Amino acid sequence: MEWFNYLAIFTAAICFTTFLYRLIYLLSLGLPKDLSKETGSVKRGIIYSFTGAMSPMEKESAFLHLPTYAAGMLYHVGIFSSLLFFVWVIVTLFVPITLPSLVSIGLVILLSLSSLAGFSILIKRVISKELRYLSCADDYISNFLTTISQVAAILYILVPGSQVIYFIIMALLFTWMPLGKTRHLLYFFFARIHLGFFYGRRGAWPTVNKS
Amino acid sequence: MKSNQINSKRELALELLKPGDDSKLLTSLNSCVRCGLCADSCMFYKAFKEAKFIPSAKVDLVSSIYRRYYTATGKIAPRLFGAKELDDKMEESMVDLLFGACTMCGRCVKHCSIGVDIPYVVRRGREMLAVMNMVPQSLQSTVDAAINTGNNMAIPEDEFVDTIKWMEEELIDEMGDENARIPLNEFDKEIFYTLNPREPKFFPLSISAIAKVFYAAGESWTLSSKFYDVTNYGFFNGNKVEAAQIAGYLYDEIKHLRGKRLILGECGHGSRAHRWEGPNYLKKTYDFDNITVVELIGEYIRSGRIKLDKSLVKEKHTIHDPCNLVRNGGLMKEIRFVVNSSVSEVIEMSPYGEDNFCCGGGGGALAMSEYNDRRLKIGEIKANQIKATGAKVVITPCHNCVDQLLQINHTYKLGVTIKTIAEVVADSLVISK
Ligand code: SF4
Ligand code: SF4
Repeated sequence: MEWFNYLAIFTAAICFTTFLYRLIYLLSLGLPKDLSKETGSVKRGIIYSFTGAMSPMEKESAFLHLPTYAAGMLYHVGIFSSLLFFVWVIVTLFVPITLPSLVSIGLVILLSLSSLAGFSILIKRVISKELRYLSCADDYISNFLTTISQVAAILYILVPGSQVIYFIIMALLFTWMPLGKTRHLLYFFFARIHLGFFYGRRGAWPTVNKS
Repeated sequence: MKSNQINSKRELALELLKPGDDSKLLTSLNSCVRCGLCADSCMFYKAFKEAKFIPSAKVDLVSSIYRRYYTATGKIAPRLFGAKELDDKMEESMVDLLFGACTMCGRCVKHCSIGVDIPYVVRRGREMLAVMNMVPQSLQSTVDAAINTGNNMAIPEDEFVDTIKWMEEELIDEMGDENARIPLNEFDKEIFYTLNPREPKFFPLSISAIAKVFYAAGESWTLSSKFYDVTNYGFFNGNKVEAAQIAGYLYDEIKHLRGKRLILGECGHGSRAHRWEGPNYLKKTYDFDNITVVELIGEYIRSGRIKLDKSLVKEKHTIHDPCNLVRNGGLMKEIRFVVNSSVSEVIEMSPYGEDNFCCGGGGGALAMSEYNDRRLKIGEIKANQIKATGAKVVITPCHNCVDQLLQINHTYKLGVTIKTIAEVVADSLVISK
């Protein structure tokens, strides 16, 4: 293994441990203590929070902004795929296996589209007055790093000799992930749990069919 | 000396952002990705089109302070991570946006791409301002009145008793029954009923409407002459001690009168504050029933304790859903059950239910005269919703909403009548004598 392999593995391990620590800590805190009398169901509320309430038909952030929503979904699929691909790459450092060519092609297509989505979201942040108002450096860096990590994965697959760039970019991403807003990777799930808890116990979620 | 005082107040405010063992706080302060997709869900942004009104900008006021004082990255590289000092400028923005530009309606929460509980963060910001004595004076006066007199309009007890006696005489005349009563301070009753002080002050007919419903149901009920106020502006000023004190007034009074069920009158935030927050403010579970009058009337209709004839009420009606009863209270269906049992024609606003827009007067906005212009401007969204229905009557089970709707009715020349649920139920009551 080369120094850049060690670097990426080391930063990935630190990143993973940090998220794991935060996950265990948040889990250990449990749900809020609420002394009011429940009239709905927390369980149903939480399930709905992750299912029906996430439906694009239920959210203005989705149905009023379909291109951004679609780009965001694609971008996130790309991020998770590129993270899985990194695990695969690390495994191949120890086990001599190769990715079936069909999977490679599929991955390149997916990551190309998701990188485009990532760049489009970044451009939108740069040109929109409202988004610039909301943004700090972290927003640009987080978006940029997650996007170029996907581009780097494409390079890794297509261009022999691009390993150094790939591993360095992944190391940068793993260093940034627990620090920047990318940490919503973990907090997202807890935000949904808290919403489900809040609305579920009052019987507001699942919402009733309005038609 | 003065700067020491300011610093110690700021320290107290910062304590409120210490995540400690509060998972919800930690989550809420760390989950917004500043995508800005919540902008169009907030009426402040929709009305003014200014970035500072985007819900996420309000969250960021609070979370940027959290990052500055409680995260290593925010301490080391504040600019990189959008971490900000709690200073004069920040405090000014917090007052302006957290008190003056958020009704805590929660509409943005459902539509947020992540699910950040934005009003929860706004409330935490208000709590910070409260410990720094920065609550807008008008809102604080409302809370002070409730604390000092037992009701937020500081209505003297004898004036209240006179109004109730007058309404009782009207009820006796209307029912033609000497036994028709509006009981005061009676013990061991099934129902301990509460009112919004706007009722005795400005809308006494809504008291006679609910009294008529109780009469028809043959209910055993009472009001208290001292502690009848269902509102709790401590829920909005961010002072939990005061909120607990106000919640304690009703708790102690139902215990004193040995009432069996606390029935929360037509007030959205008051119902929420007493039903959902009250036990937490007082740190005890309630050993009595604690429900809204909408649910009680629903019970009467289902059990046949009251009979309604909706053909008596023929005009076209629409419903304004109070945020704290519907989106944050789960009563959408129940409100419709009661209204549809009482009137012939209901046409829904678009959107309605959990997606409904706030009237614009929530979050204590009605009490904060400093922001009257903003409140009326955002009310235009509601005005347009009402106009589009073509309804002649707007029903809403909240006296705060009634007040704001009356003002937008006047400002935007809607020409509608605003009614509470008790009023429409009373209009359709069939009383067999
Ligand atoms: S939609 Fe949610 S995550 Fe996006 S900016 Fe608004 S509050 Fe933040
Ligand atoms: S709670 Fe309501 S008023 Fe406040 S930011 Fe959200 S949508 Fe706007």
